[in-house]
Parts: sequence; structure tokens; C-alpha cells
Amino acid sequence: MHERLSFYVKRESALHQLNPLTKLTLVFGLILPAFLVPFYWTPHLLLLLVVFPLAFLGKVQGEYFTAVTKLILPAAGFLFVMQALFIPGGETVLAKLWFLTLTQESLMYAFANAVRIFVMVSSFTLFMLTTHPSELMSDLTQRGLPGQFAYVIIATLQIIPQMQAKASTIIAAQRSRGLDTESSFARRVQALVPLVGPLVFGSLVEVEERAIAIEARGFTSRRPKTSLREIYDRPLDKGLRWLLILIMLASLVSRIWFS
Amino acid sequence: MPIVKLQQVTYHYPFTEKPALQDINLEVEEGEFVAVIGPNGAGKSTLCYTLAGFIPHFYKGELKGIVEVDGVLVQDSDLSDWVLKVGLVFQNPFNQISGAKYTVFEEVAFGLENSGVPRSEIIRRVEEVLQMTGIADLADRSPYSLSGGQQQRVALASILVMQPKVLVLDEPTSQMDPIGTREVFGVIRQMAEQGMTVVMAEHKVEWIAQFADRVIALWEGKIYLEGKPHEVLTDERLVEKGFGVSRYTTTARLALPRGLWQKERPLPVTLEEAVAGFSALRNARRKQG
Repeated sequence: MHERLSFYVKRESALHQLNPLTKLTLVFGLILPAFLVPFYWTPHLLLLLVVFPLAFLGKVQGEYFTAVTKLILPAAGFLFVMQALFIPGGETVLAKLWFLTLTQESLMYAFANAVRIFVMVSSFTLFMLTTHPSELMSDLTQRGLPGQFAYVIIATLQIIPQMQAKASTIIAAQRSRGLDTESSFARRVQALVPLVGPLVFGSLVEVEERAIAIEARGFTSRRPKTSLREIYDRPLDKGLRWLLILIMLASLVSRIWFS
Repeated sequence: MPIVKLQQVTYHYPFTEKPALQDINLEVEEGEFVAVIGPNGAGKSTLCYTLAGFIPHFYKGELKGIVEVDGVLVQDSDLSDWVLKVGLVFQNPFNQISGAKYTVFEEVAFGLENSGVPRSEIIRRVEEVLQMTGIADLADRSPYSLSGGQQQRVALASILVMQPKVLVLDEPTSQMDPIGTREVFGVIRQMAEQGMTVVMAEHKVEWIAQFADRVIALWEGKIYLEGKPHEVLTDERLVEKGFGVSRYTTTARLALPRGLWQKERPLPVTLEEAVAGFSALRNARRKQG
């Protein structure tokens, strides 16, 4: 079954050592300027001068660039083509293709937008590659996030591969009893009914037992919780967070100021 | 002074007419290992949930009578305090995984984190329990990637690590092979020797005969028989009520009228006892002629 339930890659790096909240702030400290700062080349510069070096700093460049080629580049590329072709306006016509017009303005606009998306998805990818979900949740819980909230997030992350596994078990069970899942489209839609029922109702029944199980482990105890994971919050982290907050504020101000 | 005390306990699940437990009187001494047997639907799981406080705190319905552990009434206690005193391991191992942890080590530590145990002590206790339950080699695996039997060991370890005074187990070895079952019974016996009180619902009568101090036979929500393991497990009345009986007991019971089992010898529950009984008979016959 699924042994790997998170994107986290265990390495020793400066990025891994940062406090989870600092890294989360960093994600937004990259996204906000990329979208808000009016200077045209901001997202491009952020990508080249901050995001790419961060991947190397976190020693996850291999995993990151795999994600770039397989996911981020195709998605951003698609967005670029669509926006370049379909955004109306612009005077400098570069090419005409049947009813589509490619103008210099729409091309530039699409290029910036695609790179913005590139920066956004990249920051989250780097964050997930270098931060263990349990670490993030322990840290946020210790900062006052309710335990139930943290539990729901982690349990949801974990439950997706399990639901997939269970769905394939149910499909196999129903097919072994003659359910047709491979012929016409209408048949396939019909076949969904006996699959979704057991999956959904089975999960609801499980919730009761799961609730008993975590209750039996003192989940609702009012004592202050401790954490197995040791999470560091160094002065560097605090400094970085303040710096990032300033950057976010500055990009917001620049947006309002110059528009 | 018994640590667990049930007096005239009757319980109805919500919207049911028939009581799931009826007039249960039970006292368990500290360090005693009590096994509960019974056919499906006899009330074994309900009894476990009652001892562990999930009745009446989690399942509503109507609970009458006295349920007392360590001098405290269940109604007077919060469930979150009660579970620190009475640990519950139930049957389905998959649903006992918290779902919030990525490794077996973290999973076992979950209960201690919730009860506010300091980090260094968590690590020490988790390591100790993983050794004891024989899953130290699985510490870094995801709990979801394990087999049913391994998950049951994780479930047991997760409760043992919290060091409850009373350990309640509802068929904790249902997905284990015979070797795993023996090991787990051994660990539970050892905990009882160290003073932990154990109440275990279980079908595997051969193991109960070897490890438990007392057996309670439940039938339709009532205590039907109670006593020393061998007396209860070889009682003829169990057969007619549809209890699971050891195949060795059945064999000897069939052999008895044919003169193949010595009349004065008690019926066997385990393989060893059956072998000893049949060999004794053979030796006696050889001597005669």
C-alpha cells in the first residue's frame, strides 16, 4: 500500500531547519509581491533570483525540477497560450490566425500571469517538500491553533490515498460479482452507484470508531499537549518573519500607490 | 478492595427495547486477568465500552446501576480523565489508527502527547513499549502500510504506553496468526503480573485457559457462567448455548462415553492437556496388559 503519504523529503538543509511558520510566511512573502508589485518584471525576477536558488538551498532541486517539468510548466504554459490568444485588446498585432489575434500587449500580459502562477505553485511545492505536515501542525498547535483543527487537516491529507485504495477494493469486489465497468459510457455511469454507496456509507461508519479510537488516546484532554517533534524557532526565524511581513506590506502599498 | 466494580448494571442502546447488558454484577481485583467469552451479540463489546467509559459518555442510551473504577463513578468523571485510567483496545485495527501520524513511533506517542507527557519521557516510554510488543522494527513505517496483525500490535502498544490501571481489550488478536496471538497473550499476562488489571473479550479459548485468572461467560447480555478458566470452559452448558468451545474439549467429550478418556480426569482445553490425557490413558492400559 501507500508508504508515502506526504511530499516531504527528509534532508539536512538551511530551508529544512527553518521554523514551519517562517516557511509558510515565506510562501506568502513570495506570492503577494509577485501579484501585487506593479513593476512588470517582478514575478520573473522573483522566480529566477529567489525561487530557483531556494530549491538549491533546500537541497530539493531534483524533486522540485521534476515537479516543474511534469506539473508546473505544462500548467503555466497552458495558461500562457490561452491568455495570449484570448485576451482582447492591444494594438500591436503580431499575428492573425483565423479569428484569433495575437497582440504584443496580450502576449506580455499572459507572460507575466503565467510566471506569477509559476511562482505561486513553486513556493507551495518548495514548502511541502521541505516541511513535514506533522511539524507544521505541531508548531501551529503550540501557537494556539485548536488541536481539532490541526487533526482535521492532517487526517484529510492522509485519508485521500486510503479512500483511493478502498475504492479500488470495492470496484474489484463489485466487478467480481459481474458489475460492468468497462463498456459504454452510460453503463459506466450506472456502475458508479454501487461503488459510491459503500464508499461513502462505509466511511461514515468508520468515523464513529475513529472517534472512539482518538478519544481513547486522550484527544479531548484539557491538559496542555506536548509534542514528540522538537520544533525550533530561532531569532533568525523571528527576524525573517518580520522582514517578510514588511515585504508583503510594501507590495500592498506599492500597488495602491501606483494605481 | 476490587478496582473494578459493576453492580446491577443494565444498559439499553438508544432506541432499543432489549437491554444489551442486564443485571451485570462484576468485581475485578487489581492485577487480575479476566477473560470474557460469549457468542456474537452476547454483549462482550458493550461490556468493554461500559468499562472504558464510552457508555454512557459516548454512546447515549440508558445506563442503570453502578460502574465504578478505582473508587470513582463513571458518571462523575469526564471521558478524557476516564481513558487515562481505563485503556481500551478494540477489534478493528484499521480504525484505531489515529490518522494524524505518519510513523508507528509517532502513532504510539499520540496518546502521550495528548496527555502532556514531556518529550524525553515520551521517547523513553514509546521505545520500551515497541520492544515489549515486538514492533520495534516497524517504528519508522507508516501505520497504514502494516498488516492487520501488525496494526493490532500498534493499537495495543498505543494504549499500553499510556499505562492505564485497567486494560480493556475487545478481541485484540482477531487478525493475528497463532505465534502473534501467543506473544500478545504473553505481554498481557506480563502486564497483569506487574499489577495492571485486564479485562479481555476473546474467542480463543485455548489461550484463555493458559493465561487468564477467571472467565466470565456472557449470554444475551447476562453473566451466564463465571469461575476458574477450566471449570467454565469445559462446562457442558456452553455447548447448548452456542459458545465457542475448544476442539480438544469436544474431542475428549466424544471420547469419554467410549472409554477413551479417563472419567476422573478433567476435560482438556489445550492441546497439551489433551495429549497428556490421552497418553496417560495409553500408559495405564499398557500397564494393565
